[in-house]
Amino acid sequence: MSSSNITSFYRQEKKTTKRKNDGGGGAIAKLCSKLGSDLAPLLVSSTDQLRSTKESSKEAEERLREFDMDMRYGPSMGLTRIERWDRASALGLCPPADVESLLLTVPTISHCLWHGRV
Amino acid sequence: MADSEMGEATLERKLAVYRNLDGNFVIQEEKYKGQQFSHIYFMRLHHMRSQLQSLIPEWKPHLPVNSILGLEEGKECIIIGTLYKHMKLKPSILDEYSKERSAIPLVKPHNFMSTDDHLILEDESGRVKLAGPMLAPSAFVTGIVIAVHGKETKEGDFFVEDFLEAGLAPQVDRPLDSREDKYVAFVSGLSVGSSAFNPLQFQLLVDHVTGHLGDENEQRISSQIVRLVIAGNSMHISHGFFSGQTVAPKDHAKLTEPIRELDIFLTQLVAALPVDIMPGCNDPANYSLPQQPLHRCLFAGASAYNTFVSCTNPHQFELDNFKFVGTSGQNIDDLYKYSDAKDKVEFMERTLRWRHLAPTAPNTLGCYPYVDKDPFLIECCPHVYFVGNQEKYETRLLQGPDKQLIRLISIPRFCETGVAVMLNLRNLECHALTFSTNL
Repeated sequence: MSSSNITSFYRQEKKTTKRKNDGGGGAIAKLCSKLGSDLAPLLVSSTDQLRSTKESSKEAEERLREFDMDMRYGPSMGLTRIERWDRASALGLCPPADVESLLLTVPTISHCLWHGRV
Repeated sequence: MADSEMGEATLERKLAVYRNLDGNFVIQEEKYKGQQFSHIYFMRLHHMRSQLQSLIPEWKPHLPVNSILGLEEGKECIIIGTLYKHMKLKPSILDEYSKERSAIPLVKPHNFMSTDDHLILEDESGRVKLAGPMLAPSAFVTGIVIAVHGKETKEGDFFVEDFLEAGLAPQVDRPLDSREDKYVAFVSGLSVGSSAFNPLQFQLLVDHVTGHLGDENEQRISSQIVRLVIAGNSMHISHGFFSGQTVAPKDHAKLTEPIRELDIFLTQLVAALPVDIMPGCNDPANYSLPQQPLHRCLFAGASAYNTFVSCTNPHQFELDNFKFVGTSGQNIDDLYKYSDAKDKVEFMERTLRWRHLAPTAPNTLGCYPYVDKDPFLIECCPHVYFVGNQEKYETRLLQGPDKQLIRLISIPRFCETGVAVMLNLRNLECHALTFSTNL
């Protein structure tokens, strides 16, 4: 957490996600059913190989981290980002719609930024 | 069923329409994924905050509502948050690791209050210590959501001038007075299998409730009992079996004896009237609240009857449109450890005013780490609120400002007192049934 370099931070987070099979596997399956099976290999392989999506992934990840850190929608640890968005929406807190579209369209990390680190 | 020599008609037991509302407490789709308890507190704060915010315009409409981080020194305002009571005597797992091993009392006191206790209010943005004489820490516990009016002092504390609890929840109108007497019987702490258990005393209760005892007048009263609720701690398994060692085959019978004995009694009961059985802290159910229903396989005889209902703890149901809510005692016992009141019924009243059945969960009372709800929130005020496994029988009729009327019942442990409680649905009046085998 001491490093403010987004790239190295992002890379660490990716390695952790690969190792964790339990929650990550379930969330990937969830995303697959939403996006279609052709995107499944994208999620599993490293996004570094697809340079065109790298920039947008970084922006998406930053936006999602802002969503994680926003205290209005409750704690972010212990549930996937989509679950947290759904919960916030069910409570009538009107979470930002662009976060929802990011979570559903762009391949992203399913858990919050603290996942696996705390 | 009367078998009179005079050839009169047999008595028929009264019926009441029953609706089980335990759905909120049964663990169904919840999956434990390693989450912590922060989510329950978030859901509790969110829910209670919206309720308090709707009450603030009537209470103090001219004051602004701030978040705790937005407090300005000297500015009068209202803040809403969860209370945390700092208690130095509260046992903490970290005490084992502290460098200075101060004299830790070997005998655990039943109550962890001390004069140094102070209250802190927390919301998502921060926390602030509450100062001032308005909030006496002895009446509060961790986990309640309240609104406080006051201002920040230069020491950084929040000086409380007034506070607002959510108060009694709205209640659905009571069914219109019916003309007939219908009774609900409550019993708890049977402790079958313990040394304090007196089988003759319990058999007297069973015989009375099923109508096998007494003359026609008594049998007529028994025929008016529409339901029996057993509020926890029905069996007692010897603590020697909890050491973690495997049980030797010769001891298997001793392990299951209390359960089989209880099943025999229960079969007699369910053959005669509907019975709700709740788990308690000594029963073979999970430890954390909400305790899940006792499994049917424990009651081979009784579970064959459709009058046998195994319930959760806390238990919620409707009988003839009267709403009942009750627990086996863990919520009130925990309040008793961390706060003070003149009697147990006052603790019960407080939980209704705080609109939460077990505010100390998950702080000092075990609880499942829900992510999307807090099942102990009281949205709708019950008509009858009962708590089992208490020291003595106590009852009070509570009246609310919005025409709410609640019967509070503290059910004593049957193995110690021989007392069961009868509630009349016609007028919400309560009386005790005492069984004694002393000559």
